[in-house]
Amino acid sequence: MAETALPSLKVKRSKPDWRVWLGVLPFFLFALLFLILPSLKLFVGSFTNDKGQLTLNNILQLITQQSILDSYWLSIKISAVTAIGGGLIGFLLAYSVTVGGLPKILRPILITFSGVASNFAGVPLAFAFVATLGRTGFITYLLSHFLNLKIYDAGFNLYSFLGLSLTYMYFQFPLMILIMAPALDGLKPEWREAAENLGATGTQYWLRVALPILLPTILGTMILLFGNAFGAYATAYALTGGALPIITIQIGAQIRGDVLHNPGLGYAMALGMVVIMGISLLGYSLLQGRTERWLK
Amino acid sequence: MAYLKISNVSKQFGENAVVQDFNLDVEKGEFVSFLGPSGCGKTTTLRMVAGFERPTEGQIIINDKEVTNVPPNQRKVGMVFQAYALFPNMTVNDNIGFGMKIARKPADEIKNRVEEMLKLINMEKYGTRYPYQLSGGQQQRVALARALALSPQVLLLDEPLSALDAKIRVSLRSEIRAIQQRLGITTVYVTHDQEEALSISDRIAVMYQGKIEQVGTPFEIYNFPQTAFVAKFVGTLNTISAEVVDVNNRILKIDGFQLETAENLDGRANGDKVTIAIRPERLNFIAQERKANVMDTRIENISFLGSVVRIQVSVGSNRFYMDTFNNPFLELPKIGSTDQMTCSREAVLVLKD
Amino acid sequence: MNLPFGWLQFAQNRFKRQQKPPDGRRKTPFWSWVWFIGGTLYLALPLLATFSFSLQMKRDTISLQAYKSAFADPAFINSFLFSIGLATVTIIASIALIVPTAYWIRLRLPQARRTVEFITLLPFVIPAIILVFGLIRIYSQPLSIPFTSLSMGQSLTNSKYGTLILIVAGYMVLGLPYMYRSIDTGMRTVDVRTLTEAAQSLGANWYTIMTRVILPNLRTALLSGALLTFAIVVGEVVLASYLGVAAFGPYLFLLGQHRAFEPAALTFATFLLTWIAMGIIQLVTGGQGQTTGAH
Repeated sequence: MAETALPSLKVKRSKPDWRVWLGVLPFFLFALLFLILPSLKLFVGSFTNDKGQLTLNNILQLITQQSILDSYWLSIKISAVTAIGGGLIGFLLAYSVTVGGLPKILRPILITFSGVASNFAGVPLAFAFVATLGRTGFITYLLSHFLNLKIYDAGFNLYSFLGLSLTYMYFQFPLMILIMAPALDGLKPEWREAAENLGATGTQYWLRVALPILLPTILGTMILLFGNAFGAYATAYALTGGALPIITIQIGAQIRGDVLHNPGLGYAMALGMVVIMGISLLGYSLLQGRTERWLK
Repeated sequence: MAYLKISNVSKQFGENAVVQDFNLDVEKGEFVSFLGPSGCGKTTTLRMVAGFERPTEGQIIINDKEVTNVPPNQRKVGMVFQAYALFPNMTVNDNIGFGMKIARKPADEIKNRVEEMLKLINMEKYGTRYPYQLSGGQQQRVALARALALSPQVLLLDEPLSALDAKIRVSLRSEIRAIQQRLGITTVYVTHDQEEALSISDRIAVMYQGKIEQVGTPFEIYNFPQTAFVAKFVGTLNTISAEVVDVNNRILKIDGFQLETAENLDGRANGDKVTIAIRPERLNFIAQERKANVMDTRIENISFLGSVVRIQVSVGSNRFYMDTFNNPFLELPKIGSTDQMTCSREAVLVLKD
Repeated sequence: MNLPFGWLQFAQNRFKRQQKPPDGRRKTPFWSWVWFIGGTLYLALPLLATFSFSLQMKRDTISLQAYKSAFADPAFINSFLFSIGLATVTIIASIALIVPTAYWIRLRLPQARRTVEFITLLPFVIPAIILVFGLIRIYSQPLSIPFTSLSMGQSLTNSKYGTLILIVAGYMVLGLPYMYRSIDTGMRTVDVRTLTEAAQSLGANWYTIMTRVILPNLRTALLSGALLTFAIVVGEVVLASYLGVAAFGPYLFLLGQHRAFEPAALTFATFLLTWIAMGIIQLVTGGQGQTTGAH
């Protein structure tokens, strides 16, 4: 075999190991400075009080102070609701354009639209929803004008939990579509044929074969959606101006003006968020691993 | 009365006539292969028997019942797919027991049957494994067991071995045949590998471009091909154009040499051009004096194929392959030398064009 | 009400009668249509609403006045151009950082792969708001090497260039997962190892290999990563406002506090821009676009 300049993986080289690591030094330096250090600062800061001593007080306060717990709970609620709702709607939509039998042309349209929608978050999304469901919004007007449904009189308010959830859904279910459509493609037609051949009806095939196969992906993606909504800030802020005290808004308030008079607590709140996001990411990877194993 | 009757079945996909006027009667317990190149319609026909495609015309009758319009999940035919199609989220046990679970059979009946099937395919210890933990050959055996668990009326196999290694293909095909004979189940087997079809079938239906070219036993198909396509597709064949010299005495001419054939030349006239075919193993160098069917040859090349030695010779402007069994102590002719070659009258086949 | 429900049944039955037995696995596409139309409406209505609102600046007529007014505003032009500039710098810096790293890992240091991939997943766990929190806390004091008395003169956040460095770095972090994954997939697809060996056997040096062999073959991946980064940066609001940078995001937000029609116009324009960017990505990658998710 001809000598190449690149060391092959199996041949041990006499060159010192550490020099090869120089190649990735810039990347690690960058990550250290701008990703790892800030995270460490948050981590260490949660365990420090104003005098710089190590303490568990911040964490303690985190899990006992009602307003903070309420914030976390609110964030979890809205993330769970939009994850499950977005997951279901997204799944049904992905189903409709893949195995669901709609004309083939509709699929790329939906996929592109979903790609745009899932990126369309933050300030513009909030404005768009105000124009749609705000007091003088498009739908509000249509409903009151044509169907005599005055939703604001009935108690609906865009700047509420429901309103924010509806807004979040806008990027949640498209994300589900983008992930589920290829997963649905991965359902081999032979599985359906084999199931039919063994006597199963369409419903039985879905219940016993297709959905179980898809379940890890569905659950994993819902967890992804959960994390997605949990960390969202700009959309909520632009829409409600901070009125809805989800945890990201709280942290934002902390940055702006030490509302809690205790920087350590702010760090602890951020740490709490990271822990929750970390757990969801873990759950997602585990479920991904399961799918990949089956479909090797 | 045939157990599986496929009568006048045609399938049209838009402008394409993928299967044309397919007629075949399969007896109970018989093993029939559909053999042909890609695109000849064999898989489509099989799928029509399974119920995954509906014939544009014609009928399919199993055990005296017409099933042409019966949905696939009610037909009681077992199908083994090319890509195994095992359910990846279920263990081997669950895969095999799937059909019975759907049919709501009691749990212990399912358990017993699954064990029986595992014994049949020689994989008793693999019940709790998942498909991704099995090799290709093992997956295919599980797929077979899954199809057989419901005791189907007919077993259909769609190129089940084409995704496997050569050695496994050979051993698995004998296993499949042994199981089929043991259970006495009527079987249709689709393949493009003629050696496979020849070795395990009771009868073979050779297909080309949607039509049946010939139906017969492996022996008949190989030794007495009726059309040019069958002759060329099955086994190696020397095909040469020749000219009719004497219709009544059945004499043809190639490159100045006269060949006598045992075939009937009715319907042809002297001077007609025909295609003749001779199997390589029917040619040999002359050991003793012969008058008829003698050709002067020049040795062009010799290939060692393992158990067979293939000698390429030229007769005038024609090229022939001659096969002889390998014998390490037999001296082979030298390349470039000349010799005389002969074959019997029966070996000269005249093809219907 | 009986009428709508009855109509629903009627429509469903009509579809059922058209259904053909065994051929194909599509049964009743009725519900598929329901979901599809519902979903598309949900996605389209807010855009329609925004568009319609943006046309109503002039009383009682439809006009593009809101657009004219919005685009003419010097603050808009400045902030938008500034954001574009930021995006460009971010993209170039990201490519310069990630391409060599990914390449090096593929070719020489596969052991580092898991660590690097883990790092690229961190931004998912650390949302923008927390990242900016950490960045500000660390860099609002002058950088110093711990346990020594060496330190920079001024903190990063105090100087203009320092802040710019900070925000570009922040944007690079936000875009890291997508950029890295795009480039890594691209490298895997074109099998950079074999290409490199082929180029070397023909006598090329590293520079030539990188510029003439690797980068051109990564065009699709780079374009897709770049467009995604562009979308992130231009729409970004959290880092920009907390770091006090005059980017497009904060501008749009402030505009929304004072004006009604121009924000709608800009929102719709942003949507069109995102659509174009995504469309290009779709075209170029053949349908495997990526998403950046919520902000």
